[in-house]
Amino acid sequence: MLKRMKWLYRCASLFLLVLIFVPATVSGAGQIPGDCNNDGIVTIAEAQSAINMFLGLTPVASCVDVDRTGSVSISTIQKVISSFLGLGGGSGLPVNVLPVTVNGSLCSSATSAGYFNKPCVSVTVCTPGTSTCQVITDILLDTGSYGLRIFKQALNVPLTQMSVGADELAECVEYADGSSNWGPVQVAGVILGNEPAVQVPIQVIDSSFGIRSRGCRHADSSAANAGFTGILGVGPFAQDCGDTCASSASNGNYYACNGTGCRGTALPLASQVTNPVTLLPTDNNGVLLQLGAVPLGGSPSLNGSLILGIGTRSNNSPAGATAYPTNSAAEFTTTFNGVTSGSSFIDSGSNGLFFSVPASLLPDCGGSNSGFYCPATTELFSAADTGAFGSPSGTVYFNVGNFNSLTSTSNNVFSEVGGNDVAGGFDWGLPFFFGRNVLVGFEGANSILGSGPYWAF
Amino acid sequence: MKLKHAIFYSLVLVMSLGSNRWANATLAGTAATIDTDRQALKAVHRATTPHTGYTVQEIASDAVAVREYLSISGVVFAVSWAGNVQPDLTQLFGSYWAEYSAAEQKVAREFGHRRRHVATNNIVVETWGHMRNLRGLAYVPSLVPPGVSIGKIQQSETATRIP
Repeated sequence: MLKRMKWLYRCASLFLLVLIFVPATVSGAGQIPGDCNNDGIVTIAEAQSAINMFLGLTPVASCVDVDRTGSVSISTIQKVISSFLGLGGGSGLPVNVLPVTVNGSLCSSATSAGYFNKPCVSVTVCTPGTSTCQVITDILLDTGSYGLRIFKQALNVPLTQMSVGADELAECVEYADGSSNWGPVQVAGVILGNEPAVQVPIQVIDSSFGIRSRGCRHADSSAANAGFTGILGVGPFAQDCGDTCASSASNGNYYACNGTGCRGTALPLASQVTNPVTLLPTDNNGVLLQLGAVPLGGSPSLNGSLILGIGTRSNNSPAGATAYPTNSAAEFTTTFNGVTSGSSFIDSGSNGLFFSVPASLLPDCGGSNSGFYCPATTELFSAADTGAFGSPSGTVYFNVGNFNSLTSTSNNVFSEVGGNDVAGGFDWGLPFFFGRNVLVGFEGANSILGSGPYWAF
Repeated sequence: MKLKHAIFYSLVLVMSLGSNRWANATLAGTAATIDTDRQALKAVHRATTPHTGYTVQEIASDAVAVREYLSISGVVFAVSWAGNVQPDLTQLFGSYWAEYSAAEQKVAREFGHRRRHVATNNIVVETWGHMRNLRGLAYVPSLVPPGVSIGKIQQSETATRIP
């Protein structure tokens, strides 16, 4: 009897191994069947255990029977094995991980010419509540903003337009470099990594929509124009505007548009363009951005990970990091060269370290690279970072190299890019992330590091 | 007949330019124009702060705080702002708007930057910051009173966002 069971087991296992070569129709959303310890990974032991349930050798567990059908089907086993082999959802990564490439394969060459230190991810965008989805790459990963924005030209699944009464909701987002994004606000099903889809208001960037507001008079018209196909804001706030837009129609961000034009409108927090990570059922208290070190002189590209959640799984432990609370604009304090600025921030969407120093300390490059620093040799500096309310404090070391020399190579990723910040603040751009785990703690959410908003590293 | 027309339209043009300057003048305008700005921006007066050589008047709308820097001789030589969006710069820049607008469109786009510097013959405009706190400072170098440091204003006296 036992022998017969073993034979059956072997046959079934062989059959299953054959099955895995059939392309799996695994949806990106939902709990991974078979991931019984909820760590985002299906191990060989978990796959074996699921097969045992399929064969009726052990009781059915809900972590395998995620559809609650009462049994484990062959298609479920297919998903379990695909996940184990790294085929589940296409990535084989833990459920809460988005690969990041800095000037790598996730960045489009059509938008990246001359754009160094550009961190890109991909997101899956779906018609809300359906499995009609598309994967969009060349999404700039930005800890300096909040919410997802994608150029209309890149979207080919229908989304749901948000309305204000009989009017259509639109938004103008301005950036500090004078650029802006204009377009309608629509609800999308957004899948990050292999997390469940969240239904979230996003901005569809479309400069031809309605009549643009004054702040968006020069709104970017194309991805090539903007330098990205989309932008994913995962900074420490949920909404891009917040209370100001909830209470005032004259907020300058949100507009109600109809055939005759667009007028300013107040908008409840829940309707504002929202950082989709904050809406996940779990892994919603922050993010961890892991990018490796970059050697002096630079690299052609760099791979890393955006890991969703802080201390929610084995892969996003904040052990060893110090949390620096921020003010209500995601700012904390940096003291450098004797100057203290309370409006310092950490921004993966800035492609250098931007701060002010006298020319005697770091000379400007001049010419077409004016605004960047060009010391004769690479210099090591330190600055002190302090939480927005006076503690804690820590020292950060960074290098500044000769920008002219760096960018005359074929490399695209540099740790030692420094540039002038016009007003004495400190913008810790992408080089800050190289070789350092940086965590973004979301407003009002808790982790073992405390309550957000905070930066931690 | 044609000459008369030309003279007439020239006069209209000069008058409209002049009246435009008075209606909107802020940079290079008098203290009274700060109140014009306040009304145009649907803002309230928040504070008047004396400094050595100038006075700072702060006004704030729902979306953005604005500071205007008034010299002892009564001329607005700089404005700064902070907020979710930029204020209506056509209002704040007055007669310098056209010059600025033409110049800003010629500034080459630099991807990955969160700052911009636009300078013309008569006005310098710096913007910096990030979402929820976009900041800026504009000044007319020729109107900055002797002994007043724009660098010092930029470091520590520009407008701060309404919390």
